[in-house]
Amino acid sequence: MESVWLISALWIGLALVSALISIRVGISVALIEIIVGSFGGNLLGLTPNDWISYLASLGAVLLTFLAGTELDPVVVRKHLGSTLSIGAVGFIAPYLGVLAYAHYALGWPWPQAQIAGIALSTTSVAVVYAVMVETGLNQTEIGKIILAGCFVNDVGTVLALGIVFANYNVWLVLFGVATALAMWFTPKVMPWFTKSFGGRVSEPEAKLLLLILFGLATLAAIAKSEAVLPAYLLGMTLATFFIKERALAQRLRAITFTLLTPFYFLKAGSLVKFDTIMAAIGLITIFLAVKMATKFVGILPLTRVFNFGCREGMYTTLMMCTGLTFGTISALFGLTNHIIDQEQYTILVTAVIASAVVPTLIAQRWFQPAFKPIAKEDAHVQENSDR
Amino acid sequence: MFKKILIASDGSEGAFKALVAALRLAHSHKAQLHMICVEETQWIPGSREEVIGDKELADRKFAEVVAKAEVEAKHHRVKLTSHIVVGHPVPAIVDFIAREGFDLLVTGFMGHSALYNRVIGSTTDRLVELAPCTVLVVK
Repeated sequence: MESVWLISALWIGLALVSALISIRVGISVALIEIIVGSFGGNLLGLTPNDWISYLASLGAVLLTFLAGTELDPVVVRKHLGSTLSIGAVGFIAPYLGVLAYAHYALGWPWPQAQIAGIALSTTSVAVVYAVMVETGLNQTEIGKIILAGCFVNDVGTVLALGIVFANYNVWLVLFGVATALAMWFTPKVMPWFTKSFGGRVSEPEAKLLLLILFGLATLAAIAKSEAVLPAYLLGMTLATFFIKERALAQRLRAITFTLLTPFYFLKAGSLVKFDTIMAAIGLITIFLAVKMATKFVGILPLTRVFNFGCREGMYTTLMMCTGLTFGTISALFGLTNHIIDQEQYTILVTAVIASAVVPTLIAQRWFQPAFKPIAKEDAHVQENSDR
Repeated sequence: MFKKILIASDGSEGAFKALVAALRLAHSHKAQLHMICVEETQWIPGSREEVIGDKELADRKFAEVVAKAEVEAKHHRVKLTSHIVVGHPVPAIVDFIAREGFDLLVTGFMGHSALYNRVIGSTTDRLVELAPCTVLVVK
């Protein structure tokens, strides 16, 4: 038992260090956890064992679920066509581009090339949202459409992850039916259940959600699909519920971000091999370039359609080139299921991390839109009695 | 000499000293005085919740900063107009100066360790370098 606590202390200690570095340098804790995990894996011999892998998987499922709950369903319903077009193009262009490059240029077999395509097809909703808040675009209809498009983009990613490698048998049908039923019934059941039993220390409403998620994850595992697929879809259908139940969302987030996601991101980092990065730096750069080029081909023309200025269009497109969480989830799925090896995992995860950093740097260095005040300008005025 | 003065505040003690200096200058020059606070966004956030959480924290912090500045401005009998923007401090402040035509920026000395300043550089250094107007750094 002593070693369990020692391992716990080591991992949570690294999570604490990551959080402090993150606060100090103002960079995402997820990214810092991956970097710290990579140093742990390469220099300290940090290796995820079974129970750490379980906590990491649980973290990925809840993180994905919570990401889904942040969807704005009103915008999607109101602008279904534009949202779907941006999201679909944002997914399909890099998916096909990277898939083709990995298979035809590198000679990776189809399953490995599929993982590459999926891992680099994502858009970071969080990065795009942060940019929207900075520029004030999140208050505009177009900003909301772009953001909703990012969710659709990530639906493409989780759908591909959940379907491409699944066993096409009765279990997959059962899994699909169960997911559809859960998406239909849970938004109807949760308000009633929360009203009847919620608000207690024992958190029955959170337990019910976990029960549904674990049940769907079980079916996903049997069907050789991926648990993040139903988690994301269920989260999206519960977005309206969570707008009203902010306290429940905050409690779930506290559990997830304190105890679970650190294990996930540290594990994702610990499996990265430094020597592979050094050996394959050129390949990593090409993967990043292919992702960015294909996103540009797909998304930049759409920004013109939506009447973005040149600078704002470039900025938005660059932001939609970013990826982090879903990209690492996809690559780790490939590694865990022995579709890709650790070298390929390292290449893909490093390209994913580079896609979080490089487009952001370019966008902020050369295409930063003008900042707008967000507070009432004259809200805090003291009149000089002399004037 | 100065007609439009901007004080950049990060809510620190150094920034408060700069505010007091700016209030005195504004009073003696009969200048307009504005204060800008930048709610810094996290670079490459991993989740939307990180962005929302940081923003809520910054909202609370700068509401207090503005309230304290108002009291001080009243004490100095100067009209103070406050602006809160979201972004990265240096580009946000530089852009704001250029857009609003300020002729003096007053800022506190944002103290980091000597090593940090040497390796990374401070916000103050960057503002002195990039601001399109005269800059007064208050220590």
